[in-house]
Amino acid sequence: MKKHIPGITSAAVTDLPVLLSYKAKYRAPQELGFSHWLAGQSLWFPVIILSVALLWPFYALAQGSEYTMADSFDALWRWMPFLLTRGFVFTILISFMTMLVGTVLGILLGLGQLSPTYVVARASWFVTQVFRNSPWLVLLFIVMLSFPFEFTIGDTIIPVPDWMKAVIGLSLPVMANISEIVRGAVNSVPTAQWEASESLAFSRRQTLFRIILPQCFKRMIPPWMNWYAILTMATPIVSILGVEEVLNLTRQAIEAEDNRPELLIPFYGFVLVIFFLYSYPIARFTVRLEKRFSVNL
Amino acid sequence: MKKLLASTTAMALALSSVAASAADCTNDTWNKVVERGKLVVGVKADYKPWGFRDTDGNLVGMEIDMANEVAATMGVDVELVAVQSSNRMQFLEQGKIDLMIATMSDRADRREIVGIVGPNYYTSGTNILAPDALNFTEWEQLRDRPVCGKQGAFYNQIVEERYGANVIAFTGNAEAKQALRDKKCVAFVYDDSSIMADLVSGSWEGFSMPMPTEDDNPWALAVPKAEQNCVFGRFMSGMQYNWHKDGALLALEEKWGIQSTSYLKAQNDRYKDWLAE
Repeated sequence: MKKHIPGITSAAVTDLPVLLSYKAKYRAPQELGFSHWLAGQSLWFPVIILSVALLWPFYALAQGSEYTMADSFDALWRWMPFLLTRGFVFTILISFMTMLVGTVLGILLGLGQLSPTYVVARASWFVTQVFRNSPWLVLLFIVMLSFPFEFTIGDTIIPVPDWMKAVIGLSLPVMANISEIVRGAVNSVPTAQWEASESLAFSRRQTLFRIILPQCFKRMIPPWMNWYAILTMATPIVSILGVEEVLNLTRQAIEAEDNRPELLIPFYGFVLVIFFLYSYPIARFTVRLEKRFSVNL
Repeated sequence: MKKLLASTTAMALALSSVAASAADCTNDTWNKVVERGKLVVGVKADYKPWGFRDTDGNLVGMEIDMANEVAATMGVDVELVAVQSSNRMQFLEQGKIDLMIATMSDRADRREIVGIVGPNYYTSGTNILAPDALNFTEWEQLRDRPVCGKQGAFYNQIVEERYGANVIAFTGNAEAKQALRDKKCVAFVYDDSSIMADLVSGSWEGFSMPMPTEDDNPWALAVPKAEQNCVFGRFMSGMQYNWHKDGALLALEEKWGIQSTSYLKAQNDRYKDWLAE
């Protein structure tokens, strides 16, 4: 006679009380789509782009233009230092500053969303939603056009250059998204920890800063870096407003070279490659950190 | 009684406003420039050879030379700010730049916004750059066809309103010209001197400037509106007058390889010193 084992010989049913596994109400924000996509690109990608960029003049030459490949190389070679030192360094500066401002404000706003004070929580939620759902370009236009170009305090004149306005304009959406990351990360910590620390006589603030937030940092880093990569890739939109970053200067360089069509692919291809080479390692690192920090509850 | 009081007040107000406009010169911009020892000039960075970049990233060109001379005459340093057609007047209004020499056509509506002072330093008319294959000969042929232009340029209005073309406006020259090469439009509407410079550069084989030039329109530099009839405006008038008189503009035209225009020669004659020779 066969032995009867519930769950094997029959459906697993029991009338005994069972402790089900904990199901987190929230998960740590996993908005890593961009990094996953970028990190998934083959390293052949920039090589292909570069070779297309460099072989383009051959094609153009075959079209019967008198402009030779060497001319095209020459032009890019001449402009390369300028585009890198003036243009791309500026792009990096803008993205760094934006991330800094956006992170500081975003953390404050995110904590505001978690505030037990109803008004603060609602107001923070509202601000977050407004900036998270506004088109970046619209925010940029508002900031660029409404901010003064300099402040005068007493005798000192504090200039506000265009790139600084761009930083302010770009940091608004970044702030809102960081705010969501903070809120999501805090909510992803099991609520039992709040109850446990309350039972140990921790105040709400102590619980948040000593118990919850230290656990959050790890889970916030990958989405935070993901946002940095997104932001870096989005920085060229400030060129529309005349900020002199790499894309704008590339355009001016092409114009200075008489706007030859043979130059278009090499120049823009070059810009694409430097953006890729900068963002790709960040994406790879983000994905690695994500794997390392992933929490399985 | 009340009526009388009201009308006298109104008259007094009207009189005082007249008096105010005559002695309104605070010369804020001029004083600021002198005080800071720095003249901020808005110039083009994508308009070869009037304003463009060299490979070191410096702004160079005919208008930059003019800006440098203005600053040298005032005895201050010059700071060049690259402007676009769409933001040059705003920059001047905001006070971000003190002076604008940025290939701007002198138009009545613009005179209301910025302080345009004569005599105009250059002139150009409206024309198009188009492929020879399309055999354009007259403007009417552009009706209902896509034409590329640049945002903020007044040529767009002309071809749109007068000849019913569909203008696609781009932020910069480079994009507009590229769109023309990509056959997104049948022509690029712009000023004839710039198109001429492009054609001379040799990179536009198979293209030409087929239309009769329309609306020869002088170019103007501009100071802030409040400075127009004050020191700065008068000073810039003087600078332009002298450039015409001593042929400096003709020399610059030659230096930057621009086809010489009859306008500059005529102005040179017109302002010639009658005692010279």
